[in-house]
Amino acid sequence: MKCIITIELGTNGVRVFAFNLSGRVIGSMKGYFPTFHTEPDHSEQDPEQIFITTLYVLKNLLNEFIHPKKYEVACICFSASMHSVLAVDKNGNPLGNAITWADNRAKKEAQELRYSELGKKLYAATGTPIHPMSPVVKIAWMKNRDKERFRLASKFLSIKSYIIHQLTGEYNIDYSLASATGLLNIHTVAWEADALQYAGITSTRLPDVVPVFTSAGKLKKAYQQSLRLPSGTKILLGSSDGCLATLGDGVKGVGKATITIEDSGAVRVMGPTVLKDEQMRFFNYLLTDDCYVSGGPTNNGGNILEWFSRQFGEFTNPFDMENSLQQLIEEASKVPRGSDGLLFLPYLLGERAPIWNANARGMYFGLNIKHERKHFIRATIEGILYEIYSIGKTLGEQRNIKSLSVNGSFGTIPFCTQMIADMFNKPVRVRQQYHSVSFGAYLLSATEMGIYKSLDEAAQTVELPDVFKPNKQHHAVYADYFSIYEKLSIKLADEFEAISSLQQKYAVTDAPVKKSKTGSKSR
Amino acid sequence: MNQFVLQQGKSAELLLFPQILEVGIKKIGSIQLNAFSTTTTDGLRIYYIIEGRFEWRINHQTYIYYPGDVALILPGTPFGSDNGVLEIGSFTWIQLSLHRLDNGQIQPGKWSGLSETETAAIGKTLLLNSMPVLSRFNEVGKILKCIHAELFGNEVGYQASINHQLDELLIQVARKMTKQSHANRDFPKTFMHLEEVLRQDLAHQWTVEEMAALVGMGTTLFTERVKSYSGFSPINYLINIRISEAIKLLKRPEISVTDIALDTGFYSSQHFSTTFKKLTGYRPSEFRKNHLRNK
Repeated sequence: MKCIITIELGTNGVRVFAFNLSGRVIGSMKGYFPTFHTEPDHSEQDPEQIFITTLYVLKNLLNEFIHPKKYEVACICFSASMHSVLAVDKNGNPLGNAITWADNRAKKEAQELRYSELGKKLYAATGTPIHPMSPVVKIAWMKNRDKERFRLASKFLSIKSYIIHQLTGEYNIDYSLASATGLLNIHTVAWEADALQYAGITSTRLPDVVPVFTSAGKLKKAYQQSLRLPSGTKILLGSSDGCLATLGDGVKGVGKATITIEDSGAVRVMGPTVLKDEQMRFFNYLLTDDCYVSGGPTNNGGNILEWFSRQFGEFTNPFDMENSLQQLIEEASKVPRGSDGLLFLPYLLGERAPIWNANARGMYFGLNIKHERKHFIRATIEGILYEIYSIGKTLGEQRNIKSLSVNGSFGTIPFCTQMIADMFNKPVRVRQQYHSVSFGAYLLSATEMGIYKSLDEAAQTVELPDVFKPNKQHHAVYADYFSIYEKLSIKLADEFEAISSLQQKYAVTDAPVKKSKTGSKSR
Repeated sequence: MNQFVLQQGKSAELLLFPQILEVGIKKIGSIQLNAFSTTTTDGLRIYYIIEGRFEWRINHQTYIYYPGDVALILPGTPFGSDNGVLEIGSFTWIQLSLHRLDNGQIQPGKWSGLSETETAAIGKTLLLNSMPVLSRFNEVGKILKCIHAELFGNEVGYQASINHQLDELLIQVARKMTKQSHANRDFPKTFMHLEEVLRQDLAHQWTVEEMAALVGMGTTLFTERVKSYSGFSPINYLINIRISEAIKLLKRPEISVTDIALDTGFYSSQHFSTTFKKLTGYRPSEFRKNHLRNK
């Protein structure tokens, strides 16, 4: 029996799934790796720890589910978070940690570029919104502010490129991850000269751009032995988490959109053309030559309800966040839709789409003397989802969205899914106990293996059995409140700016984080 | 209860309790000067605020205490208030004599019913966490009240009861200290803290008990939470960090493989080599050779 293994290099760790050829999950395992914030705007991960964790989890999964049942591994397919940058020296060894998508160190560079003519040109050419997340501005930051590392860097990789290079020795990057770097022209599928010039590099310092179906080389002998895999095991480059979540929900086709809400969130569509936007609110990433995944990301998803839970939730058992969240949802369900007029702007982490304002901040609005704790809970959840709706609404200006699917741990909570259906006034499909990114990677692998003729055909086989139907009356309530929500999110731009600069001005800086002793020790 | 002070060596009530150096209640009706000057003692001092607001200095740092708060002063730490001022209010306190072991650990004497491992864990908790303010800690007030009543009541079994209350006091203080530093809500943050401490001393032979105590959890709950959060058992997660650090060091030519093994917490270079090869398929020396070569 053959099987397909998918490896997802995510923000908080790695998830490995094993599928049989018809797409049923045989087994899955995960492994956590930390994100380091050594300075306020920095967000880094240790490439060696990511590699070891990946290897460790893969080995455990093979030993538990695959080898004992004599499955033959037909293919190992990768997916990864977007926008990471790792500089490596001429021997391929990392120069410091990888910089993740959440890193904001290049905010000054991003701010300047976004409002320049070059910025507009680069956005149209590359499809990546100009934002500190984008590798092109991160590399420019390094050129300006970390000159030694920039000089020594032989290549600028993504985390996925590094992990695959460890396993096979080849330097590759797939279309979708490359198109999330802000350096790739998504129309010509070549590194964009203006972007390279802005970053101060030539294309030789980037990995080769290849289609998502490309085989990433042969597993090195040592790993064949330690993992007990044959030399012919195919390593498939795969795609990004965003593109694969969209594919995994079967969103390929007219009128479909998918909503992902984990810690953060996004609304995405897939199609043969890009979304053009004067205000540069959407991303357009390339999955294949004729297929773009477009949409808008939000910083504020399930992590905001977790914040609420940590501050105001009940914890009957220590560290039992799940139980606390469940209680909050139960309490929220006892409050009328619209929270009796309490509104919440969820911008605790600033915001990307649709307002693209890093200085945006959160707010409860409309408080009156009758509001209770439970109203705050419901308003918090509604605020998170109004923001999702707000992204969907701007997308709707360019694409006629008829049906929606929802995935991600927060979005698939039935209470939230129903709320999404009511806010959008559209049917919403989900499948519980389902992992869209990994399933997308399975579909990609199965298509490469010829099980499906095309990604279109693969996407059409996706069935999401649970449907949440919208309720017109509920929609009317949400629509009324949303009009105020939307106005507030725009009107407060000046006050967001003012309060965030005061927050910086009066910030009490944390004690410096102690550096790890190992490594600097001399004997 | 009215104010009183009992002192070891002066008060007959404490004859049966050599571990209690001092115990009392103080009520201050008007501001007093030179009534609370800074002192350093060998005992562990625990003050519980009943009324008022007090500004006290512990180890030259000023802290403010409100009713329900506890001031915890470790042996040998200077404690008092500026100019010895005592503000209006009332508080109750106890000073306990603890044994100091050769390794610097502190522990209660023979009167205690705590087991050896519990004693060690509580002693470590008191020393590791510098936490002079334990806020909203009414349990301490209740226990001290109970001790006072037993001391003056002399009912049957009062000696055992007081020793028992003292154990309870130490247990509650130790638990409060770890809970106050780890709010029992944010596991990611707690885990990050643990990760930092582990990385700072990777060479140490960490046990699960030590790791759990560091974040104020029982070992069973700790192991379960770490497993569900990280996908690994605590020890396997530690091996993960060890190998990742070792990889970084192997990529630098100047440190010997044996030194890397010991620095990253393996018993020997043999143990390092076996573990490394099992996971990566390479012996450390081979891995090093591959990565130092120009490509």
